[in-house]
Order: sequence, then structure tokens, then C-alpha cells
Amino acid sequence: MAILRKDLIRELRTREMLISMILFVLLAMVIFHYAFTVKEGADLTYFTGGMLWVTFIFAMLLGLNRSFAQEKDERCLDGLLLCPVDRVTIFFAKTAGNLIFLLIIQAVAVPVFTLFFVERSYVGDLLPFLVVLLLADVGICALGTLLATISMNTRSRDLLLPIIFLPLIVPVLIAATGATTLIFAEGAGFGGLLARVLFLLGFDVVFIAAAYGTYDFAIGE
Amino acid sequence: MKQLVSAPALFVEAGICLIAGLLLAFLYAPIDVSSMGFSQKIFYYHAPIAETALVAFGIAFVAAIAYLRTQDLKWDRLGLVCVRLGLLFSLLVMITGMIWGKAAWGVWWAWEPRLTTFLLVCFLYIAYLVLRSVVEEEQRRATYAAVFAIIAFIDVPMTFFATRFLPEGLHPVVISAGGSGMEGSMLVSFLISMLGMTLLLVALIRRDLAVEDLKDRVADLKNTIGG
Repeated sequence: MAILRKDLIRELRTREMLISMILFVLLAMVIFHYAFTVKEGADLTYFTGGMLWVTFIFAMLLGLNRSFAQEKDERCLDGLLLCPVDRVTIFFAKTAGNLIFLLIIQAVAVPVFTLFFVERSYVGDLLPFLVVLLLADVGICALGTLLATISMNTRSRDLLLPIIFLPLIVPVLIAATGATTLIFAEGAGFGGLLARVLFLLGFDVVFIAAAYGTYDFAIGE
Repeated sequence: MKQLVSAPALFVEAGICLIAGLLLAFLYAPIDVSSMGFSQKIFYYHAPIAETALVAFGIAFVAAIAYLRTQDLKWDRLGLVCVRLGLLFSLLVMITGMIWGKAAWGVWWAWEPRLTTFLLVCFLYIAYLVLRSVVEEEQRRATYAAVFAIIAFIDVPMTFFATRFLPEGLHPVVISAGGSGMEGSMLVSFLISMLGMTLLLVALIRRDLAVEDLKDRVADLKNTIGG
């Protein structure tokens, strides 16, 4: 808990990461707009889910690198490791920190993206949408935190993270994009959406368990 | 030393099975009566290779757990050897799959669950090798590689399930929960090919382990003579 507080306070004081992340998200939207508007007045509803999740995953990559680079540069991590806490506690605190960070980005990105791109009101389906969002976020953050811990201890650090993170996160991307597109384009039909939500839930459980088992090793001596 | 002796014998056995499987596939098993026709013959190689690739990654997964428990570097070496061979077999899966795809569907590549899964598997385990290459310290490299091998292997079925959410695929489902869907003579040919391919994997693993051993000994000898 204290670790989470420390990260949040640090971020609130400097605000460097959050502001650049929000700018990143807005710029991504503009770039997607130019990249996908193939003809005047094209309906981008079916692409919005994909755009959102691509943006979130890349924003997360940047965020993950930052969140551990600070620890490493100032040798804070060594201090953390000396604390008489379970290593897994560090994992959960870091994951929670990254989750909050991602949620803030989404709080900005989702309204803006959907305002510009989605031509159908999805307000009635807000609850299932939030469920999908949260489940996918947990998966992304848990896996991302574990892999960032590994990559920051290697020679090539932030170059390595995308290479190991992106192939592993593809299942989440597929399920989350599918679910989001369903909600934006057709409304929350039960069958297709439920399967994806259950899948995301299963992914979260499995990878949190896997991280729980391996984090001791990942963070090193 | 025992390993060096036994590997050739295994290669011979694997070779016999594979050739027998090939002969059976072409001479004994009937030509597929459904849509596939003659191109179905590649199945006797394609599917065993796919199975063998997954077995290799499975062994790497077990070796990774064993390494984390014992911190014994021999498990790390087994993991590395298995991942390398699994990657080789995965590439062969994709190549044979593409050849078959061209013959059966008329396209070299379809974004279809199994092919896509194997593509991602390739990326995953290439990432494993990249990860190894950027950590210098031996124990640490072994530990990270083991953690990643565990996560990657868990991710493979996840990817496979997730790709099911994509629009319908073209891949034939030969072995499903309902049974194998193969005639007796096809099944025999298939199983012999599968046995041959698995033996080949075991033989290759043994040989690679022996090579790694020799590398270590060469390095040791170089150190002793002050090279």
C-alpha cells in the first residue's frame, strides 16, 4: 500500500508522465483519424475498438518503462527490496499503480475517441463496457508489470519490453477489441460478449497466478 | 558420453519411422474422399510436426519450472535446446501449412486460428531467444528465461482460444472431442509418422545437449591453457 502511495505521490508532484500520456493518447487519435479516414465521411465505428486498445497497449508500454526506469535510475528498487515485505507485495502495488495510471488515460481517451468516431450511442451499454475495460486492464497491467520487471534488469531495457510484451498480450487484444467493437457497433448482445468477458476473466486469473508464482525470481536478488 | 552414443541410434529409429510413415501415407492410406483429395497427404507430416513443436515447448516449460526449483543450470540448457528445436519445428509447421493452404484453399496464408497461433508462438519464442541474448550473467539469464518460458507456454492455449473469437476459419478439424475422424489405415500411417517425428525430436534434443556439453568443455579447456 505504501509503495502504491509513493508512486502516486511522486506522479502527482511531477505530473510529467500523466500529461505526456494524455497528449500521446490525443495525438494517437488524430493520427488514427488521418490513417483510417479513407473517404469523406467514412464511418469509423467498427475501427474504434481496435484503435482504443492499440492506443492503450502502446501507452502502457511507455508507462511501464517509465515506472521502472525511475526505480532503477535512483536505485530506489534496492531500497524496496530491502524492506521486510513479500516480493509479491511489490508486484501487486506496482500493478495497482499501473492500473490507476491506465484508467486515468482511459477516462480521457474513451470519451474523446467515441465522441469523434462512434456514430451510435452506447450509453445504455456502459456497464458491460466498463466490465470489459477493467478486466482487460487488469490483464495488461499484471502481465506488463511482470515483464517490465524482467526487462528493466537487462541490457536493452526499453527495447526488450515491446518484444516480449506484445506477443503475450495478443489474446487480450483480440478479446477486448472484439467485445468493445460489439458494444460500440451492435450493443451488448449476450452470447458473443459473455464469451469474451469470461475469457478476459480467465486470462486475468491465470496470469496473476503465474506472476504470483514467478515474481520472486523475476525481481532478482 | 552415453548421450553421444545413443543419439545416432535414435536418429536411425526416427528415420525408419518417418520413411515408413511416408510410404504408408502414399501407398497404404487411401486418398481422402472429402474435399481435400491428394493434397491431404501433407497432413501426415504437417500435424506430427505441429504436435512435436508443442511437445518441445512443453518440455521447455517443465524444464523452466525445474530450473526455478533447483537452480541447476542443466535444466536451463534443456530449456534452451527445446525452445530452439520447437522454434524450428514451428517454422516447419508454418511452411507445410502454407503449402497445404495453397493447395486446399488457394491462398498461401489465411488468418485462421491455428496458423495464427503458430505465428504468435514463433514470435513468442523468438522473443525468448532475444531475452536470453541481452542478459549477460548466467544465473540471471537462466532465471528470466525460465520465467518467460513459463508465461509463454501458458499464453499459447490462451492465444488459441482467443483466435477462436476471430471470424470463422478454414482449417479442417481432424481430431475433435467426438473422435479422430480418420479411417484405420490413415490412422496407422499418421501414428507412425507422429512416432517418427517425436523420436526425431528426442534425438535432436540429445544431440544438442551433447553439443552444448562439448562447447562448455572447449571453453573450460581454453581457460585452462590460458586462451
